Amino acid sequence: MRYPFPVGKSDFIQGDEAIARAAILAGCRFYAGYPITPASEIFEAMALYMPLVDGVSIQMEDELASIAAIIGASWVGAKAMTATSGPGFSLMMENLGYAIMTETPIVVVDVQRSGPSTGQPTLAAQGDVMQAIWGTHGDHSLIVLTPATVQEAFDMTIRAFNLAEKYRTPVILLTDAEVGHMRERVNIPNPEDIELVYRKLPANEEEAKYPFGDIHGDLIPPMPIFGKGYRTYVTGLTHDEKGRPKTVDAEIHHKLIERIVNKIEKNKKDIIDYETFELDDAEVAIVSYGIVARSAIRAVKMLRGEGIKAGLLKLNVVWPFDFEMIEKIAEQVHAIYVPEMNLGQLYHLVKEGANGKARVELIPKIGGEVHTPQEIVKAVKRCEKCI
Amino acid sequence: MQVRFAGIGGQGVVLAGVILGEAAAIEGLNVVQTQDYSSASRGGHSIADVIISKDPIYDLIVTKADVLVALAQLGYNTTKGSLKEDGLLIVDTDLVKPDREFIGAPFTRLAEETTGIALTVNMVALGYLVAKTGVVKKESVEEAIRRRVPKGTEGINLKAFRVGYEEGLK
Repeated sequence: MRYPFPVGKSDFIQGDEAIARAAILAGCRFYAGYPITPASEIFEAMALYMPLVDGVSIQMEDELASIAAIIGASWVGAKAMTATSGPGFSLMMENLGYAIMTETPIVVVDVQRSGPSTGQPTLAAQGDVMQAIWGTHGDHSLIVLTPATVQEAFDMTIRAFNLAEKYRTPVILLTDAEVGHMRERVNIPNPEDIELVYRKLPANEEEAKYPFGDIHGDLIPPMPIFGKGYRTYVTGLTHDEKGRPKTVDAEIHHKLIERIVNKIEKNKKDIIDYETFELDDAEVAIVSYGIVARSAIRAVKMLRGEGIKAGLLKLNVVWPFDFEMIEKIAEQVHAIYVPEMNLGQLYHLVKEGANGKARVELIPKIGGEVHTPQEIVKAVKRCEKCI
Repeated sequence: MQVRFAGIGGQGVVLAGVILGEAAAIEGLNVVQTQDYSSASRGGHSIADVIISKDPIYDLIVTKADVLVALAQLGYNTTKGSLKEDGLLIVDTDLVKPDREFIGAPFTRLAEETTGIALTVNMVALGYLVAKTGVVKKESVEEAIRRRVPKGTEGINLKAFRVGYEEGLK
Protein backbone atom coordinates (compact mmCIF):
# COMPACT_ATOMS: atom_id res chain seq x y z
CA MET A 1 0.00 0.00 0.00
CA ARG A 2 1.33 3.41 -0.95
CA TYR A 3 0.59 6.35 1.31
CA PRO A 4 0.21 9.92 0.05
CA PHE A 5 2.61 11.17 2.74
CA PRO A 6 6.01 10.06 4.01
CA VAL A 7 5.96 7.12 6.44
CA GLY A 8 8.73 5.62 8.55
CA LYS A 9 10.33 9.01 9.18
CA SER A 10 9.73 12.27 10.97
CA ASP A 11 7.96 15.28 9.55
CA PHE A 12 7.25 18.86 10.64
CA ILE A 13 3.45 19.14 10.62
CA GLN A 14 0.41 20.66 12.33
CA GLY A 15 -1.66 18.75 14.87
CA ASP A 16 -4.64 18.72 12.51
CA GLU A 17 -2.50 17.27 9.73
CA ALA A 18 -1.12 14.65 12.13
CA ILE A 19 -4.68 13.59 13.02
CA ALA A 20 -5.59 13.15 9.36
CA ARG A 21 -2.47 11.11 8.56
CA ALA A 22 -2.90 8.96 11.67
CA ALA A 23 -6.53 8.28 10.75
CA ILE A 24 -5.47 7.05 7.31
CA LEU A 25 -2.78 4.84 8.87
CA ALA A 26 -5.36 3.52 11.37
CA GLY A 27 -7.44 2.34 8.43
CA CYS A 28 -9.98 5.16 8.25
CA ARG A 29 -11.45 5.17 4.75
CA PHE A 30 -14.52 7.34 5.21
CA TYR A 31 -14.49 10.95 6.30
CA ALA A 32 -17.50 13.25 6.34
CA GLY A 33 -17.28 16.81 7.57
CA TYR A 34 -18.21 20.44 7.42
CA PRO A 35 -15.42 23.01 7.51
CA ILE A 36 -14.88 24.96 10.71
CA THR A 37 -11.94 26.78 12.28
CA PRO A 38 -9.74 25.37 13.86
CA ALA A 39 -10.54 21.87 12.52
CA SER A 40 -10.66 22.63 8.78
CA GLU A 41 -7.11 21.47 8.12
CA ILE A 42 -8.16 17.93 9.03
CA PHE A 43 -10.84 18.07 6.36
CA GLU A 44 -8.45 19.62 3.84
CA ALA A 45 -5.95 16.83 4.40
CA MET A 46 -8.66 14.15 4.19
CA ALA A 47 -9.99 15.64 0.95
CA LEU A 48 -6.48 15.43 -0.45
CA TYR A 49 -5.50 11.98 0.84
CA MET A 50 -8.70 9.90 0.73
CA PRO A 51 -8.98 9.58 -3.06
CA LEU A 52 -5.35 8.41 -3.12
CA VAL A 53 -6.01 5.52 -0.70
CA ASP A 54 -9.33 4.46 -2.28
CA GLY A 55 -11.24 6.16 0.53
CA VAL A 56 -14.03 8.70 0.58
CA SER A 57 -14.00 12.24 1.90
CA ILE A 58 -17.29 14.04 1.58
CA GLN A 59 -18.51 17.51 2.54
CA MET A 60 -21.96 17.26 4.08
CA GLU A 61 -24.48 20.07 4.42
CA ASP A 62 -23.76 20.46 8.13
CA GLU A 63 -22.40 18.70 11.20
CA LEU A 64 -25.62 16.80 11.92
CA ALA A 65 -25.31 15.13 8.55
CA SER A 66 -21.55 14.63 8.93
CA ILE A 67 -21.82 12.44 12.01
CA ALA A 68 -24.89 10.69 10.55
CA ALA A 69 -22.85 9.83 7.46
CA ILE A 70 -19.98 8.31 9.42
CA ILE A 71 -22.39 6.23 11.49
CA GLY A 72 -23.82 4.84 8.27
CA ALA A 73 -20.34 4.22 6.87
CA SER A 74 -19.38 2.34 10.02
CA TRP A 75 -22.39 0.03 9.64
CA VAL A 76 -21.20 -0.98 6.19
CA GLY A 77 -17.82 -1.80 7.67
CA ALA A 78 -15.68 1.32 7.22
CA LYS A 79 -13.56 2.90 9.89
CA ALA A 80 -14.99 6.40 9.84
CA MET A 81 -14.23 9.82 11.29
CA THR A 82 -15.50 13.37 11.40
CA ALA A 83 -13.87 16.47 12.88
CA THR A 84 -15.31 19.73 14.06
CA SER A 85 -15.09 22.43 16.71
CA GLY A 86 -17.46 23.60 19.47
CA PRO A 87 -20.35 24.94 17.38
CA GLY A 88 -20.36 21.84 15.17
CA PHE A 89 -19.77 19.54 18.13
CA SER A 90 -22.96 20.93 19.70
CA LEU A 91 -24.86 20.00 16.55
CA MET A 92 -23.45 16.46 16.70
CA MET A 93 -24.79 15.71 20.16
CA GLU A 94 -28.04 14.14 18.97
CA ASN A 95 -26.38 11.62 16.68
CA LEU A 96 -23.54 11.03 19.12
CA GLY A 97 -26.23 9.60 21.37
CA TYR A 98 -27.49 7.53 18.46
CA ALA A 99 -23.97 6.15 17.92
CA ILE A 100 -23.72 5.25 21.60
CA MET A 101 -27.15 3.60 21.62
CA THR A 102 -26.48 1.65 18.41
CA GLU A 103 -22.92 0.82 19.56
CA THR A 104 -21.33 2.19 16.42
CA PRO A 105 -17.54 2.53 16.30
CA ILE A 106 -16.74 6.07 15.13
CA VAL A 107 -14.11 8.68 15.88
CA VAL A 108 -15.21 12.28 16.43
CA VAL A 109 -12.51 14.93 16.68
CA ASP A 110 -13.35 18.13 18.53
CA VAL A 111 -10.67 20.78 18.05
CA GLN A 112 -11.83 23.04 20.85
CA ARG A 113 -12.12 26.79 20.50
CA SER A 114 -13.59 29.29 22.94
CA GLY A 115 -17.36 29.25 23.31
CA PRO A 116 -20.21 29.29 23.95
CA SER A 117 -21.72 29.75 20.50
CA THR A 118 -19.27 30.92 17.82
CA GLY A 119 -17.06 32.46 20.53
CA GLN A 120 -13.41 32.94 19.56
CA PRO A 121 -12.95 30.89 16.37
CA THR A 122 -9.16 31.02 16.18
CA LEU A 123 -8.35 30.60 19.87
CA ALA A 124 -7.96 27.52 22.03
CA ALA A 125 -10.06 26.43 24.99
CA GLN A 126 -10.93 23.38 27.03
CA GLY A 127 -14.55 24.31 27.46
CA ASP A 128 -16.01 21.17 25.87
CA VAL A 129 -14.81 18.60 28.41
CA MET A 130 -18.16 18.11 30.10
CA GLN A 131 -19.94 18.30 26.75
CA ALA A 132 -17.71 15.56 25.32
CA ILE A 133 -18.61 13.33 28.26
CA TRP A 134 -22.19 14.35 29.00
CA GLY A 135 -23.32 16.47 26.03
CA THR A 136 -25.74 13.92 24.66
CA HIS A 137 -28.78 13.07 26.71
CA GLY A 138 -29.53 9.91 28.62
CA ASP A 139 -27.39 7.53 30.64
CA HIS A 140 -24.32 6.48 28.73
CA SER A 141 -20.56 6.14 28.62
CA LEU A 142 -17.98 6.71 25.92
CA ILE A 143 -14.25 7.38 25.63
CA VAL A 144 -12.55 10.80 25.53
CA LEU A 145 -8.83 11.22 24.72
CA THR A 146 -6.84 14.43 25.26
CA PRO A 147 -3.55 14.96 23.38
CA ALA A 148 -1.03 17.60 24.48
CA THR A 149 1.44 17.51 21.60
CA VAL A 150 1.37 16.96 17.86
CA GLN A 151 2.97 13.54 18.40
CA GLU A 152 0.23 12.66 20.87
CA ALA A 153 -2.44 13.90 18.46
CA PHE A 154 -1.00 11.41 15.98
CA ASP A 155 -0.64 8.51 18.44
CA MET A 156 -4.01 9.07 20.11
CA THR A 157 -5.87 9.20 16.81
CA ILE A 158 -4.66 5.68 16.08
CA ARG A 159 -5.61 4.65 19.61
CA ALA A 160 -9.04 6.29 19.19
CA PHE A 161 -9.78 4.03 16.22
CA ASN A 162 -8.51 0.97 18.06
CA LEU A 163 -10.64 1.69 21.12
CA ALA A 164 -13.72 2.46 18.99
CA GLU A 165 -13.35 -0.88 17.20
CA LYS A 166 -12.53 -2.87 20.32
CA TYR A 167 -15.41 -1.54 22.42
CA ARG A 168 -17.89 -0.79 19.61
CA THR A 169 -18.32 2.76 20.78
CA PRO A 170 -17.84 6.35 19.69
CA VAL A 171 -14.49 7.78 20.78
CA ILE A 172 -13.93 11.52 21.09
CA LEU A 173 -10.49 12.92 20.35
CA LEU A 174 -10.73 16.12 22.38
CA THR A 175 -8.01 18.48 21.30
CA ASP A 176 -7.84 22.25 20.87
CA ALA A 177 -6.90 25.06 18.50
CA GLU A 178 -3.40 25.22 19.93
CA VAL A 179 -2.51 21.55 19.34
CA GLY A 180 -4.45 21.59 16.06
CA HIS A 181 -2.56 24.51 14.56
CA MET A 182 0.82 24.01 16.22
CA ARG A 183 3.62 22.51 14.16
CA GLU A 184 6.08 20.08 15.72
CA ARG A 185 8.39 17.35 14.61
CA VAL A 186 6.41 14.08 14.57
CA ASN A 187 7.66 10.54 14.15
CA ILE A 188 5.45 8.70 11.71
CA PRO A 189 6.05 4.96 12.10
CA ASN A 190 6.17 2.38 9.34
CA PRO A 191 2.60 1.15 8.74
CA GLU A 192 3.62 -2.46 9.51
CA ASP A 193 4.75 -1.36 12.98
CA ILE A 194 1.34 0.11 13.87
CA GLU A 195 -0.90 -2.21 15.83
CA LEU A 196 -4.46 -2.03 14.51
CA VAL A 197 -7.67 -3.37 16.01
CA TYR A 198 -10.73 -4.40 14.03
CA ARG A 199 -14.25 -4.83 15.35
CA LYS A 200 -15.53 -8.27 16.21
CA LEU A 201 -17.75 -9.68 13.45
CA PRO A 202 -20.38 -12.42 13.89
CA ALA A 203 -18.78 -15.85 13.43
CA ASN A 204 -21.98 -17.34 12.00
CA GLU A 205 -25.65 -16.70 11.34
CA GLU A 206 -26.60 -17.57 14.91
CA GLU A 207 -24.26 -14.92 16.36
CA ALA A 208 -25.50 -12.38 13.84
CA LYS A 209 -28.97 -12.68 15.33
CA TYR A 210 -27.78 -10.91 18.49
CA PRO A 211 -26.05 -7.68 17.47
CA PHE A 212 -26.97 -6.11 20.83
CA GLY A 213 -26.59 -9.01 23.23
CA ASP A 214 -23.76 -10.20 25.39
CA ILE A 215 -23.24 -13.51 23.62
CA HIS A 216 -19.50 -13.71 24.39
CA GLY A 217 -19.81 -12.62 28.02
CA ASP A 218 -17.47 -9.67 27.43
CA LEU A 219 -20.27 -7.09 27.12
CA ILE A 220 -19.27 -6.36 23.51
CA PRO A 221 -21.52 -7.94 20.86
CA PRO A 222 -20.15 -8.76 17.41
CA MET A 223 -21.26 -6.23 14.81
CA PRO A 224 -22.99 -7.56 11.69
CA ILE A 225 -22.02 -5.48 8.68
CA PHE A 226 -24.70 -4.46 6.22
CA GLY A 227 -24.35 -6.18 2.90
CA LYS A 228 -22.60 -9.24 4.34
CA GLY A 229 -25.62 -11.51 4.31
CA TYR A 230 -27.35 -10.81 7.59
CA ARG A 231 -30.58 -8.98 8.29
CA THR A 232 -30.00 -6.47 11.07
CA TYR A 233 -32.25 -3.92 12.69
CA VAL A 234 -30.56 -0.80 14.05
CA THR A 235 -32.51 1.73 16.09
CA GLY A 236 -32.00 4.50 18.59
CA LEU A 237 -35.04 3.27 20.46
CA THR A 238 -34.45 0.96 23.38
CA HIS A 239 -34.03 -2.47 21.81
CA ASP A 240 -33.62 -6.09 22.80
CA GLU A 241 -30.64 -8.29 22.03
CA LYS A 242 -31.86 -8.80 18.48
CA GLY A 243 -32.22 -5.06 17.92
CA ARG A 244 -36.01 -4.99 17.97
CA PRO A 245 -37.56 -1.87 19.56
CA LYS A 246 -38.87 -2.55 23.09
CA THR A 247 -39.71 0.84 24.45
CA VAL A 248 -41.75 0.23 27.58
CA ASP A 249 -40.00 -2.73 29.19
CA ALA A 250 -37.93 -1.44 32.13
CA GLU A 251 -35.88 -4.61 32.38
CA ILE A 252 -34.81 -4.58 28.74
CA HIS A 253 -33.88 -0.90 28.96
CA HIS A 254 -31.91 -1.49 32.13
CA LYS A 255 -30.05 -4.46 30.70
CA LEU A 256 -29.11 -2.61 27.50
CA ILE A 257 -27.96 0.64 29.08
CA GLU A 258 -26.13 -1.11 31.89
CA ARG A 259 -24.15 -3.14 29.36
CA ILE A 260 -23.37 -0.06 27.23
CA VAL A 261 -22.06 1.73 30.33
CA ASN A 262 -20.29 -1.30 31.76
CA LYS A 263 -18.40 -2.27 28.62
CA ILE A 264 -16.51 0.99 29.19
CA GLU A 265 -16.53 1.13 33.01
CA LYS A 266 -15.49 -2.49 33.55
CA ASN A 267 -12.60 -2.03 31.12
CA LYS A 268 -11.36 1.21 32.66
CA LYS A 269 -7.93 -0.22 33.36
CA ASP A 270 -7.43 -1.06 29.69
CA ILE A 271 -8.74 2.28 28.45
CA ILE A 272 -7.34 4.80 30.91
CA ASP A 273 -3.93 6.19 30.09
CA TYR A 274 -1.88 8.73 32.02
CA GLU A 275 1.66 9.87 32.76
CA THR A 276 3.18 11.08 35.98
CA PHE A 277 6.02 13.49 36.47
CA GLU A 278 7.82 13.87 39.82
CA LEU A 279 4.68 12.59 41.54
CA ASP A 280 6.21 9.85 43.76
CA ASP A 281 7.36 12.10 46.61
CA ALA A 282 5.12 15.06 45.82
CA GLU A 283 3.37 17.03 48.52
CA VAL A 284 1.44 19.09 46.00
CA ALA A 285 -0.10 17.59 42.86
CA ILE A 286 -1.15 19.18 39.62
CA VAL A 287 -3.72 17.29 37.57
CA SER A 288 -3.73 18.40 33.98
CA TYR A 289 -4.66 17.25 30.48
CA GLY A 290 -4.26 18.38 26.90
CA ILE A 291 -2.31 21.47 25.96
CA VAL A 292 -2.14 22.86 29.52
CA ALA A 293 -0.19 19.78 30.67
CA ARG A 294 2.85 21.13 28.82
CA SER A 295 2.89 24.28 30.91
CA ALA A 296 2.20 22.15 33.99
CA ILE A 297 5.38 20.09 33.43
CA ARG A 298 7.41 23.29 33.33
CA ALA A 299 5.55 24.60 36.38
CA VAL A 300 6.45 21.44 38.36
CA LYS A 301 10.13 21.95 37.53
CA MET A 302 9.95 25.61 38.55
CA LEU A 303 8.13 24.81 41.82
CA ARG A 304 10.71 22.13 42.67
CA GLY A 305 13.39 24.73 42.02
CA GLU A 306 11.76 26.92 44.64
CA GLY A 307 11.56 24.15 47.21
CA ILE A 308 7.92 23.17 46.74
CA LYS A 309 7.63 19.41 46.19
CA ALA A 310 5.23 19.42 43.26
CA GLY A 311 4.28 16.57 40.95
CA LEU A 312 2.10 16.15 37.89
CA LEU A 313 -0.57 13.71 36.84
CA LYS A 314 -1.14 14.17 33.11
CA LEU A 315 -4.35 12.53 31.94
CA ASN A 316 -4.37 11.23 28.38
CA VAL A 317 -7.92 9.94 28.81
CA VAL A 318 -10.47 12.06 30.69
CA TRP A 319 -13.33 9.57 30.36
CA PRO A 320 -13.66 6.95 31.72
CA PHE A 321 -12.27 8.61 34.84
CA ASP A 322 -10.16 6.94 37.53
CA PHE A 323 -11.68 8.38 40.70
CA GLU A 324 -9.80 5.83 42.83
CA MET A 325 -6.41 6.94 41.51
CA ILE A 326 -7.23 10.57 42.37
CA GLU A 327 -8.21 9.50 45.89
CA LYS A 328 -4.84 7.74 46.31
CA ILE A 329 -3.01 10.88 45.22
CA ALA A 330 -5.19 12.94 47.57
CA GLU A 331 -4.09 10.71 50.43
CA GLN A 332 -0.46 11.47 49.59
CA VAL A 333 -0.54 15.22 48.93
CA HIS A 334 -2.16 18.04 50.83
CA ALA A 335 -3.39 19.93 47.77
CA ILE A 336 -4.31 19.18 44.16
CA TYR A 337 -4.33 21.95 41.58
CA VAL A 338 -6.30 21.70 38.35
CA PRO A 339 -5.28 24.23 35.69
CA GLU A 340 -7.87 24.25 32.92
CA MET A 341 -8.71 26.53 30.00
CA ASN A 342 -12.26 26.87 31.28
CA LEU A 343 -14.01 27.97 34.46
CA GLY A 344 -13.87 24.53 36.06
CA GLN A 345 -14.88 21.26 34.40
CA LEU A 346 -12.46 18.39 35.05
CA TYR A 347 -11.94 20.11 38.41
CA HIS A 348 -15.28 18.71 39.56
CA LEU A 349 -14.28 15.14 38.72
CA VAL A 350 -10.97 15.58 40.53
CA LYS A 351 -12.77 17.00 43.53
CA GLU A 352 -15.11 14.02 43.60
CA GLY A 353 -12.14 11.66 43.30
CA ALA A 354 -10.18 13.43 46.06
CA ASN A 355 -13.10 12.67 48.34
CA GLY A 356 -12.17 15.37 50.84
CA LYS A 357 -8.71 13.91 51.47
CA ALA A 358 -6.88 16.87 49.95
CA ARG A 359 -7.76 20.41 49.10
CA VAL A 360 -8.61 20.74 45.39
CA GLU A 361 -8.02 24.12 43.78
CA LEU A 362 -9.00 25.25 40.31
CA ILE A 363 -6.64 27.38 38.23
CA PRO A 364 -9.02 28.63 35.54
CA LYS A 365 -8.13 30.60 32.43
CA ILE A 366 -10.37 31.64 29.53
CA GLY A 367 -9.97 33.98 26.60
CA GLY A 368 -7.86 31.88 24.27
CA GLU A 369 -4.37 31.78 25.76
CA VAL A 370 -2.85 28.71 27.37
CA HIS A 371 -1.71 29.08 30.99
CA THR A 372 1.95 30.02 31.13
CA PRO A 373 4.08 27.92 33.52
CA GLN A 374 4.62 31.12 35.53
CA GLU A 375 0.87 31.58 35.99
CA ILE A 376 0.49 28.04 37.35
CA VAL A 377 3.48 28.54 39.68
CA LYS A 378 2.06 31.83 40.92
CA ALA A 379 -1.38 30.33 41.59
CA VAL A 380 0.11 27.35 43.45
CA LYS A 381 2.40 29.56 45.55
CA ARG A 382 -0.40 31.96 46.43
CA CYS A 383 -2.55 29.08 47.71
CA GLU A 384 0.33 27.31 49.44
CA LYS A 385 0.94 30.50 51.43
CA CYS A 386 -2.66 30.91 52.44
CA ILE A 387 -2.90 27.55 54.28
CA MET B 1 15.86 30.28 21.22
CA GLN B 2 12.56 32.10 20.88
CA VAL B 3 11.87 33.90 17.62
CA ARG B 4 8.72 35.89 16.96
CA PHE B 5 7.56 37.29 13.62
CA ALA B 6 4.93 40.02 13.80
CA GLY B 7 3.12 41.81 11.03
CA ILE B 8 -0.30 42.09 9.47
CA GLY B 9 -2.34 39.47 7.64
CA GLY B 10 -1.17 39.02 4.04
CA GLN B 11 2.54 39.57 4.71
CA GLY B 12 3.30 35.86 4.92
CA VAL B 13 4.34 36.10 8.54
CA VAL B 14 3.13 32.57 9.37
CA LEU B 15 4.91 31.06 6.36
CA ALA B 16 8.17 32.68 7.47
CA GLY B 17 7.72 31.01 10.86
CA VAL B 18 6.86 27.66 9.31
CA ILE B 19 9.93 27.72 7.08
CA LEU B 20 12.24 28.66 9.93
CA GLY B 21 10.66 25.83 11.97
CA GLU B 22 11.04 23.34 9.15
CA ALA B 23 14.70 24.34 8.74
CA ALA B 24 15.27 23.63 12.43
CA ALA B 25 13.47 20.26 12.10
CA ILE B 26 15.69 19.43 9.12
CA GLU B 27 18.69 20.01 11.38
CA GLY B 28 17.21 17.57 13.90
CA LEU B 29 16.44 20.23 16.49
CA ASN B 30 13.26 20.25 18.56
CA VAL B 31 10.94 22.94 17.38
CA VAL B 32 7.48 24.24 18.15
CA GLN B 33 5.80 26.65 15.78
CA THR B 34 2.56 28.41 16.66
CA GLN B 35 0.67 31.38 15.31
CA ASP B 36 -1.81 33.97 16.37
CA TYR B 37 -3.92 35.93 13.96
CA SER B 38 -7.27 37.69 13.89
CA SER B 39 -10.12 36.16 11.88
CA ALA B 40 -9.63 38.79 9.16
CA SER B 41 -7.49 37.22 6.42
CA ARG B 42 -5.89 40.55 5.57
CA GLY B 43 -5.12 43.62 7.63
CA GLY B 44 -5.41 42.21 11.15
CA HIS B 45 -2.36 41.42 13.25
CA SER B 46 -0.48 38.23 12.46
CA ILE B 47 2.13 36.61 14.68
CA ALA B 48 4.24 33.50 14.14
CA ASP B 49 6.29 32.03 16.98
CA VAL B 50 9.16 29.61 16.61
CA ILE B 51 10.87 28.02 19.59
CA ILE B 52 14.00 26.05 18.81
CA SER B 53 15.94 23.94 21.29
CA LYS B 54 18.09 20.86 21.69
CA ASP B 55 15.99 19.97 24.77
CA PRO B 56 12.29 19.02 24.86
CA ILE B 57 10.10 22.10 24.51
CA TYR B 58 7.18 22.65 26.86
CA ASP B 59 6.57 26.26 25.89
CA LEU B 60 3.97 26.97 23.25
CA ILE B 61 4.20 30.63 22.55
CA VAL B 62 7.03 33.05 22.79
CA THR B 63 6.99 34.67 26.19
CA LYS B 64 10.47 36.20 26.21
CA ALA B 65 11.60 36.60 22.63
CA ASP B 66 15.29 36.51 21.83
CA VAL B 67 14.48 37.92 18.43
CA LEU B 68 11.46 39.91 17.27
CA VAL B 69 11.02 40.51 13.54
CA ALA B 70 8.43 43.26 12.97
CA LEU B 71 7.15 43.81 9.44
CA ALA B 72 4.37 46.27 10.26
CA GLN B 73 3.72 48.89 12.92
CA LEU B 74 0.56 47.08 14.12
CA GLY B 75 2.54 43.89 14.57
CA TYR B 76 5.25 45.72 16.46
CA ASN B 77 2.81 47.50 18.73
CA THR B 78 1.03 44.23 19.55
CA THR B 79 4.18 42.31 20.43
CA LYS B 80 6.93 44.70 21.57
CA GLY B 81 6.33 43.78 25.22
CA SER B 82 7.33 40.18 24.55
CA LEU B 83 10.89 41.04 23.46
CA LYS B 84 13.60 40.51 26.06
CA GLU B 85 15.31 43.65 27.25
CA ASP B 86 18.56 42.53 25.61
CA GLY B 87 16.68 40.87 22.73
CA LEU B 88 17.29 41.61 19.08
CA LEU B 89 14.71 43.76 17.27
CA ILE B 90 14.66 43.48 13.49
CA VAL B 91 12.27 45.75 11.59
CA ASP B 92 11.22 46.81 8.13
CA THR B 93 12.72 50.28 8.45
CA ASP B 94 10.19 51.82 6.01
CA LEU B 95 7.15 50.53 7.84
CA VAL B 96 8.03 50.30 11.52
CA LYS B 97 9.12 53.12 13.77
CA PRO B 98 10.31 51.42 16.95
CA ASP B 99 10.79 53.13 20.30
CA ARG B 100 13.91 51.15 21.18
CA GLU B 101 17.19 50.01 19.65
CA PHE B 102 16.82 48.04 16.43
CA ILE B 103 18.44 46.81 13.25
CA GLY B 104 16.83 46.16 9.91
CA ALA B 105 16.37 47.16 6.31
CA PRO B 106 13.50 48.25 4.07
CA PHE B 107 12.44 44.61 3.54
CA THR B 108 9.26 45.32 1.57
CA ARG B 109 11.07 47.70 -0.75
CA LEU B 110 13.88 45.17 -1.23
CA ALA B 111 11.29 42.50 -2.04
CA GLU B 112 9.61 44.70 -4.65
CA GLU B 113 12.96 45.62 -6.20
CA THR B 114 14.27 42.07 -6.51
CA THR B 115 11.21 39.94 -7.25
CA GLY B 116 8.68 42.57 -8.20
CA ILE B 117 6.37 41.10 -5.57
CA ALA B 118 5.96 42.80 -2.18
CA LEU B 119 4.58 39.51 -0.87
CA THR B 120 8.09 38.02 -0.79
CA VAL B 121 8.90 40.40 2.08
CA ASN B 122 8.65 37.42 4.45
CA MET B 123 11.55 35.65 2.73
CA VAL B 124 13.68 38.80 2.65
CA ALA B 125 13.18 39.28 6.38
CA LEU B 126 13.85 35.60 7.04
CA GLY B 127 17.13 35.80 5.12
CA TYR B 128 18.16 38.85 7.12
CA LEU B 129 17.31 37.08 10.39
CA VAL B 130 19.27 33.94 9.50
CA ALA B 131 22.33 35.97 8.49
CA LYS B 132 22.23 38.04 11.67
CA THR B 133 21.59 35.21 14.15
CA GLY B 134 22.88 32.00 12.56
CA VAL B 135 20.05 30.17 14.36
CA VAL B 136 19.89 27.68 11.48
CA LYS B 137 22.04 27.11 8.42
CA LYS B 138 21.31 28.96 5.20
CA GLU B 139 21.13 25.63 3.33
CA SER B 140 18.50 24.23 5.72
CA VAL B 141 16.28 27.24 5.10
CA GLU B 142 16.71 26.90 1.36
CA GLU B 143 15.65 23.25 1.58
CA ALA B 144 12.66 24.24 3.73
CA ILE B 145 11.67 26.92 1.19
CA ARG B 146 11.72 24.33 -1.61
CA ARG B 147 9.45 22.08 0.45
CA ARG B 148 7.00 24.67 1.69
CA VAL B 149 6.32 27.39 -0.86
CA PRO B 150 3.71 26.85 -3.60
CA LYS B 151 5.03 24.95 -6.62
CA GLY B 152 6.48 27.25 -9.23
CA THR B 153 7.36 29.98 -6.76
CA GLU B 154 10.53 28.37 -5.39
CA GLY B 155 12.74 30.57 -7.57
CA ILE B 156 11.42 33.95 -6.51
CA ASN B 157 11.21 32.92 -2.87
CA LEU B 158 14.80 31.69 -2.85
CA LYS B 159 15.88 34.89 -4.61
CA ALA B 160 14.12 37.01 -2.00
CA PHE B 161 15.63 34.94 0.82
CA ARG B 162 19.16 35.37 -0.58
CA VAL B 163 18.73 39.13 -0.99
CA GLY B 164 17.72 39.37 2.65
CA TYR B 165 20.60 37.11 3.66
CA GLU B 166 23.12 39.27 1.77
CA GLU B 167 21.64 42.39 3.35
CA GLY B 168 22.06 40.77 6.77
CA LEU B 169 25.74 40.04 6.11
CA LYS B 170 26.47 43.72 5.44
